[in-house]
Amino acid sequence: MSTATPQSDTRPAEAPTAAPPLRIALLGNPNTGKTTLFNRLSGLRHKTSNFPGTTLEARVGRIRVVVPADGAAPAVERAAEIIDLPGIYSLELDQLEAETCRAVLAGRAAPRGQPVAEPSALCVVADATNLPRSLMLVGEALRRRLPTVIAINMIDLARRRGIHINPAALEQELGCPVVCTSARTGEGLAELELAFARAAVPRQTPPGAEAGLRAWADTLYAAAAAGEPDQDADTLTDRLDRAFTHPVLGVAVFALVMAGLFWTIFILADIPTQWIEAVFGAATEGVRAVLPEGVIADLAADGIVAGVGAVVVFLPQICLLFFLIALLEDTGYLARAAFVVDRLLRPLGLPGHAFVPLLSAHACALPGIMAARAIPDRRERLATILVAPFMSCSARLPVYILLIGILFRDRPAMAALAFVGCYGLGIVAAAGSALIARRTILRGASRPMALELPTYKRPSLRTAAMTTWDRAVVFLRKAGTNIMAISIILWWLGAYPHVPPPADAVNLREAAVAAAPAEAEQLVQEADRLEAAHQKANSFAGRIGRTIQPIFEPLGYDWKLTVGVITSFAAREVFVSTMAVMVGGDEEDEQVLDTIAAAQRDDGTPLFTPAVCWSLLVYYVLAMQCLPTLAVTAREAGGVKWALLQLVWMCGIAYLAAMLAFHLAS
Amino acid sequence: MERGVQQTRTSPVALSLSQLRPGQRGIVRQADVAGDDAALLRAMGLCCNAKVRLCRAGEPCIVSVVTGNGAGCRIGLARPLAEKILVDPE
Repeated sequence: MSTATPQSDTRPAEAPTAAPPLRIALLGNPNTGKTTLFNRLSGLRHKTSNFPGTTLEARVGRIRVVVPADGAAPAVERAAEIIDLPGIYSLELDQLEAETCRAVLAGRAAPRGQPVAEPSALCVVADATNLPRSLMLVGEALRRRLPTVIAINMIDLARRRGIHINPAALEQELGCPVVCTSARTGEGLAELELAFARAAVPRQTPPGAEAGLRAWADTLYAAAAAGEPDQDADTLTDRLDRAFTHPVLGVAVFALVMAGLFWTIFILADIPTQWIEAVFGAATEGVRAVLPEGVIADLAADGIVAGVGAVVVFLPQICLLFFLIALLEDTGYLARAAFVVDRLLRPLGLPGHAFVPLLSAHACALPGIMAARAIPDRRERLATILVAPFMSCSARLPVYILLIGILFRDRPAMAALAFVGCYGLGIVAAAGSALIARRTILRGASRPMALELPTYKRPSLRTAAMTTWDRAVVFLRKAGTNIMAISIILWWLGAYPHVPPPADAVNLREAAVAAAPAEAEQLVQEADRLEAAHQKANSFAGRIGRTIQPIFEPLGYDWKLTVGVITSFAAREVFVSTMAVMVGGDEEDEQVLDTIAAAQRDDGTPLFTPAVCWSLLVYYVLAMQCLPTLAVTAREAGGVKWALLQLVWMCGIAYLAAMLAFHLAS
Repeated sequence: MERGVQQTRTSPVALSLSQLRPGQRGIVRQADVAGDDAALLRAMGLCCNAKVRLCRAGEPCIVSVVTGNGAGCRIGLARPLAEKILVDPE
């Protein structure tokens, strides 16, 4: 089979542990199953980082390559690293992905944490169902004169379409190993691993000019493939596309699929989320039981354990979302979804790809922003990341429930309308902001859609699980550490400095000692609440709240509401528990809404007037009050400045809109 | 669009991709698309002499690129691009 000449760097090493690992770069068109192939080869033995100076994902996997016996030298196993390069249509394109591939192949760049050096071999992943186009990329790659292996992937799909490919003929012609594989079924993978050891510098250098290269690829294809000429009607794909890309039916199918997706996440993520909350709740108590009361116990329990909990609690949603999206993508449907909604989003300066991130943001902005990676154009991706947090996430729900409950008590129809209005306001703000961003800071012609619609196929659970694993690890390692640090700082601001209990509380406790047991318990509870409220009011957060209250005066908020707004930066739902502590009542208590609703200002007038409720509602719909989101924005957008812009823009809009709402409703 | 209309009056009859009927085949003659987009479209397979079939008309449209012996791919195209690709219909 082999006509290839082994290269110096594939010669068997006497002491394999001493030899540096082989570095094999995986190059290929999008939709060729390159990532599935990578997952098959490396399994979980891989690290995900990014290419320096970019947010392009770089995955490096560890595999073993068997170098066969060569004369006197016995066969040895060598460690090898495979680098998954971004999928590109051509190495010569003027885009970040292609530039990154060029740099890696030339030894000018490497994934973060890897030594910058030319790869020792190049594996070009070609698409067996569209080999003439893949051969164009093969030709460009061969011009790099690196030891090369060609994997013709998706051979099972090609066979089903009646396309026959003769790898031996290609190997003969090119002078480097050519292997037919199916990453989905595992076919040909053992052969591919063996071929890595035979990677050879190609015998010929294809023409550099595009026309010449195309003629070269066509000639090569004619010599190596046979099939029905001009038979392009893939009937199943045709039939499915007729439904899925139909202007009306397609949108309906899309709506159904998305509803199913989020319903599944809503139902399923809730269960592990509750477990996680229970586990961390128990852990907090456990820490308190073990450690002596004091600063260390407070830090460990309320700072660190609760901080870790604040990170981990997002995991179920993130994992489920990415698992389901990866499955949908693998079937080929997701490209159709982007196709269908492109027309709807285009007027806002956003592509069809932005829909999934924006919809995901309704559950939680974090996975939504992470899902924006699928958007190819940088400006469109940034615009999507910037506006995604306007979508009403589930953390806003407790606040909506509280405020709408106060506004429309016993009027469920009006309450439902107000809920819809909150979601609508968020969507309108996102649409308007996207429009403005795309005409100012992210100006640039909207790239008209040119989107490949891959062949439909059965999805690989393995690939989906691997993608999910990657996203979870990235989230925990990169965003998680920031989120935890932020949680600890916010806890500290809310809990310190410790102040002596107020006189009222001391008096109540003294009274409790003398009172009957039933009454004493009540008195102690009231004393606890007074102490907690006093502590909150005099903590750093409370002091900040009092200091900046004048800023929120035009919105109708007193200092207690200001403290609630400030503490909401840890997570919006904290508003409800903060208000419960500030004005009295227990969060667990079913009467908590009544207690909060009856809260009074320091001068004795009611606090939650309709005008204040509307103002708060509008503020919570629009304001950026989620530091974890800012941490993820900074990471995914590639700079803190984007997070700051998001914060200033959203809070600015929220402030003005809330002020307007307050004055209109007054 | 004007360009496509003008071309229909000349011989051989060249249409823009967006003027093909659903299911109609053609051969790409010219892609008058601006810089980056042209290179991307060519790299995706929509180059001169490529055989194409319009799978779905409208905005956006779907075109199937046939590269011989049953190989090929489908590309979803926005109208601004489809209008600028001239084809000789079969």
